[in-house]
Amino acid sequence: MKRLFRLATGPEDIGRSPGFWGAFAVLILYLFASPLWLGEFEAYNISFYLLNLPLALGLCLLWGYCGVLSFGQVAYFGIAGYVYGIIAGNLVGTGWGPIAGELGGLAACVVVSAVFGYFVFYARVQAWIVPILTLVLTLLLETFLGQTAGYQWRVGNVQLGGYNGMTGIPSFQVGNLVFYGYAFYYFVLVAVVLCYFACRMVVNSHFGKVMLAIREDPLRAELLGYDIRARQLGVFVLASVLAGISGLFYVQWGNYITPSQVGLVSAALPVIWVAVGGRTSLLAVAISTYALNWVNYSLSSAGNQYALVIIGALLVIVMLFFPRGIVVMLAEAGFRGSLARLRAALRLG
Amino acid sequence: MNGAGTYLATRDLAKRFGGIVATEQVSLDIAEGELRCIIGPNGAGKSTLFALLCGIHRPDSGRIFIKEQDVTSLPSFRRVRLGVGLTFQTNRAFHDLNVRQNLEVPMGATGSATHSRSARSEDRYRYALSVFGLDGLRETPARELPHHQLQWLEIAMVLSGGPDILLLDEPTAGMSPEETTQTARVLQHLNDDGLTIVVVEHDIAFVRQVAQRVTVLHQGSVFAEGSIDEITAHDDVRRIYLGQA
Ligand SMILES: Nc1ncnc2c1ncn2[C@@H]1O[C@H](COP(=O)(O)OP(=O)(O)OP(=O)(O)O)[C@@H](O)[C@H]1O
Ligand SMILES: [Mg+2]
Repeated sequence: MKRLFRLATGPEDIGRSPGFWGAFAVLILYLFASPLWLGEFEAYNISFYLLNLPLALGLCLLWGYCGVLSFGQVAYFGIAGYVYGIIAGNLVGTGWGPIAGELGGLAACVVVSAVFGYFVFYARVQAWIVPILTLVLTLLLETFLGQTAGYQWRVGNVQLGGYNGMTGIPSFQVGNLVFYGYAFYYFVLVAVVLCYFACRMVVNSHFGKVMLAIREDPLRAELLGYDIRARQLGVFVLASVLAGISGLFYVQWGNYITPSQVGLVSAALPVIWVAVGGRTSLLAVAISTYALNWVNYSLSSAGNQYALVIIGALLVIVMLFFPRGIVVMLAEAGFRGSLARLRAALRLG
Repeated sequence: MNGAGTYLATRDLAKRFGGIVATEQVSLDIAEGELRCIIGPNGAGKSTLFALLCGIHRPDSGRIFIKEQDVTSLPSFRRVRLGVGLTFQTNRAFHDLNVRQNLEVPMGATGSATHSRSARSEDRYRYALSVFGLDGLRETPARELPHHQLQWLEIAMVLSGGPDILLLDEPTAGMSPEETTQTARVLQHLNDDGLTIVVVEHDIAFVRQVAQRVTVLHQGSVFAEGSIDEITAHDDVRRIYLGQA
């Protein structure tokens, strides 16, 4: 227990002081209590901002901590979503269909990412090729799903639906308890907090230090005795499962999915969330992902057609002025500022 | 060293890069517990030899043995787990990590395999930390260390993995005479403690201070081998190497 606590609060993320953990606890309590005053519709919207966090945290681990940029994490988002839709859709009325769907969706993510990642990492392709290969995979998936419009493209009684996508995907359900509205909000909130702590434990474990070493200098890391191919593959599969978790939540939230969820724009978004916050910090990425999803969703549901343009412009501005990510750089500045203030106070005192 | 077994051996190692012959027919025997210096002019193939020993490059022909096991086709990380530790000619400590992280990364790599960090290698590591003055600098980012300490950090980092043989590629390059002497003293102490060490060096004063045996590489081949006195007395060696230095 103590060990777990140390892992979760270890040094490999911003936010380590007692003050931080106090604020963190207040935030969590606030989020748990907010259904008391939030309408069910607002809770439903917040669920959407939250459900993208695992996808972003996975990319943060893979890119920020391990140095492998995947431009195609949405492939696993989509795979999990579609597989869930197929399984749960065929088991409607059983009560355990959604759980089977979740397990099936995540298993599919593990298998696909392990096989694909094996070829990428064990072939020791150069680092700059990885984003291209991962992007190509997700675009292939989009193309494939896009041509599944005909009636022959159905699995059991679920239609894949081509570019119109798969509709009527069941909400999450355990026995008779269906998760929508507030229940779904709590379901996502708990899962996301757990994902954050799990990632924080990973980066503070010894495995996490080796990830940093691989990011810094793969050859040096290998010459300290690590099979870097296996390590990179492991992180890639983990990131893909996290992307899959977001995909599951997404289809349970909206009850539909279309091939554009694995298309080019969708593929770029997680990279933007992670870059804007600062890819070397899980917390920064969590904050920026929530904020950018809120901005995007608020703009586009207000009928603004330029939501993506605004998000893109934001990326450019942040990269110009905060190349290591806005949250990371502000946090460092704040930390230095308070150190300086402390020193000044001590000198006066 | 008499009677000790051979720790590392190569037979007729050859490696070409395009038309350039980097090493040719290199056969070496490093005894357990030996401290060997390898010298030779620029481009003689010294770094290439190390890269072959560690599996960074595959030889075009020839074989490599560690403790009589043929490792010629083993990947790098497996050779490290058998006990090989390398520092690079250009420093490759993790500059953006702090000293603590640099030193913690190698722990646990070798322990999981055939080779485990013994009490003895633990002692060597502790010793290196204190003589290199790294003990008090744990949270310092590596890139803020002065050059010589960065070199020492990479040595300490490799020792942290608990190797049986250290391959050091010009460890004192860019150091002041005092720092070089200090490094030589530390290496000698580690060697007295039983660690096998192979050092590529240009600095003859350093070589004089530490080496038991010296191997001269020239144009990819072993040109001469012997004690430092034999080597410095060797006319051809003086001509090709010492004359230039
Ligand atoms: N990766 C490579 N690709 C092409 N040629 C190479 C490569 N590595 C080394 N060489 C060539 O092989 C020869 C031996 O190089 P090596 O680096 O082993 O020499 P060295 O003895 O370490 O020299 P120095 O004292 O300058 O470090 C040189 O001619 C060099 O240009
Ligand atoms: Mg060299």
